[in-house]
Amino acid sequence: MATSTESLPPPGWDREGLDGLLNAFPEGRLSEIVGPRSSGGGSLLLALLARAASRGGLVALVDGADAFDPETAARAGLDLRALLWVRCGGRLPPAWSAADLLARCPGFAAVALDLGTAEGAAPPSFGVRLQRAAAENPAVVVVRAPRHVTGSAAALVVSVRRVRAHWIGAPRRIRLGGLLSEARVLRSRFDPRLATPGRAWLLEWRT
Amino acid sequence: MTRIACLFVPVAAERVKPALLEIALRHSPTVEDGGPDTVYLDLGGLERLWGCEEEIARRLHHAAGERGATVRIGIAGSRAGARFAARAGGDVTIVPPGMDARWLGPAPLALLGLGPEMSARLGRWGIRTLGELADLPSHGLAERLGGEGPRLQRLARGEDATPLRLWTPPAVFEESADCPWGVETLEPLGDLVAGLAEILCARLRRYELSADAFEWTCRLANHAVHEGACAPAAPLADSAAAAALLRASLAARPPRAAVMAITLRARPVRVQISQPRFDEPPRPSPRLLTATLARLSALVDARGIGSPAILDTHRPDAHQMTPFLLPSPQPSPPRGEGRAETGEGAVLAIRRMRPPQLAEVLVAAGTPTHLRAAGLAGRIIAGAGPWRVSGEWWTEVPFVQDEWDVELDDGTLCRLAHDSRGWHLEAVYD
Repeated sequence: MATSTESLPPPGWDREGLDGLLNAFPEGRLSEIVGPRSSGGGSLLLALLARAASRGGLVALVDGADAFDPETAARAGLDLRALLWVRCGGRLPPAWSAADLLARCPGFAAVALDLGTAEGAAPPSFGVRLQRAAAENPAVVVVRAPRHVTGSAAALVVSVRRVRAHWIGAPRRIRLGGLLSEARVLRSRFDPRLATPGRAWLLEWRT
Repeated sequence: MTRIACLFVPVAAERVKPALLEIALRHSPTVEDGGPDTVYLDLGGLERLWGCEEEIARRLHHAAGERGATVRIGIAGSRAGARFAARAGGDVTIVPPGMDARWLGPAPLALLGLGPEMSARLGRWGIRTLGELADLPSHGLAERLGGEGPRLQRLARGEDATPLRLWTPPAVFEESADCPWGVETLEPLGDLVAGLAEILCARLRRYELSADAFEWTCRLANHAVHEGACAPAAPLADSAAAAALLRASLAARPPRAAVMAITLRARPVRVQISQPRFDEPPRPSPRLLTATLARLSALVDARGIGSPAILDTHRPDAHQMTPFLLPSPQPSPPRGEGRAETGEGAVLAIRRMRPPQLAEVLVAAGTPTHLRAAGLAGRIIAGAGPWRVSGEWWTEVPFVQDEWDVELDDGTLCRLAHDSRGWHLEAVYD
């Protein structure tokens, strides 16, 4: 039973890893993380929030699907007292509005909107509105969605895909050890070099 | 001539102290809170109102008795004299005017509340009583102890020129409005509450206070009582933010009948205003944050807004929401020292299903082989498990389930759980 059909990463993959990618998320701009479920997109978002909180900032998460797991977040180093968690119970319209409200409240280091696996379309001009809200404050504003929803408004679009799962134990698997995923910058308005075709970040997430 | 009365409670009790302060304030406008077991009041000018000192002492003793407090009362020309009279004497002890020094002579030095260093120093000199301290030559005392020496000596002689530190009862921040016509909809009720909040916030600002909680009580037309409370993310005295918060809270939990009267209370706290440091990360202003939270609670269930706190249990997904409060500012660590930047943040996130979704799982040889759940179906190509998760067997709601981590043929990683009710999709790794 094969665990993955993916090959090892090709030469030329970015070795900066997670830190390098996290530094690419600009303050005062709208960013987007796109990728299907189990691609590592949620983990990337969590790492981004944890880093912002570890620097003493407050972070806000609008949880469209009510799927955030505090225990994992705490393990990732996110100080839960610095987190404002807005649970939307699977309803997307309030999630759009909540993200817009929080992006306009100065003082947060990061504001994230997690749409989960919902495929619903964003309201017209939502991306532009969120980008304008982000521009008013020096906060990292991020949308995590299975596919691109903010149109041309996002200054940074990161696409994440799964490479392979890492299982511990052979031949009998004992437990899930982690996930290897690949991130590529599809668009970067402020640093076009990040979006160079062929440049990718290899991210290893562990359980 | 200064005359001080001391109310002393031989057995200090938390509940007695407020009663003593209230009794003292009923008899004199100048009252000092002297510690857990002592209250002082200035008797100057009270003769015309209450009579002689014996009569005042009798009244005080009687009033304390009515409140269930056993007190001893001492009256003298100074705090130290009155305190010693109350401690050493009977129910009522009055030191005649000008006799404080003689009365205080045998009193122990501890009556002055000296620090350990000064007590030890005087002890080395062989000084044990106030009389011995009072008899020392003032000049020599000043040479050895500085200004503190003569001050202590004056106190030991019953010469206390320091006025009482005025105690004022804590202000009650409460406003009420009657509406006999009955307020049936939220909008006018919100306006009513906003008006009360404006008055309360103005009073809070006058006292340089802020409110960290608001409570309301509504008397309803059906004779029921509707109560509620809300807390801003940070103490505030801004009427607009308070009104927005109260409107949102009322909208989240509206009264079930027309409101005939409403009372709004604010819990006051004193907020230390300090200038933000240069290395301090930015914080939302309490006013803006409260207004934002109030508007958020109008969008989503207010119970779903806050900070999560993990509960001390092994039950899956055990957490509770706590109010989001502005933490005290900490200097931000230098760039590069964040924990997530050292790689600790590279943790595989999971997306919880709330509640866990029912799933159909085919099992072959004790191993799950196919999964079908809402929005998710496929062949299981890898998996690990089961792990038994159980606990709280001593409660009425114990939990026990077997968990699996599986990988579907489309690459989805998920966690399955099996218990007496069947299979469930617990979470998806992301």
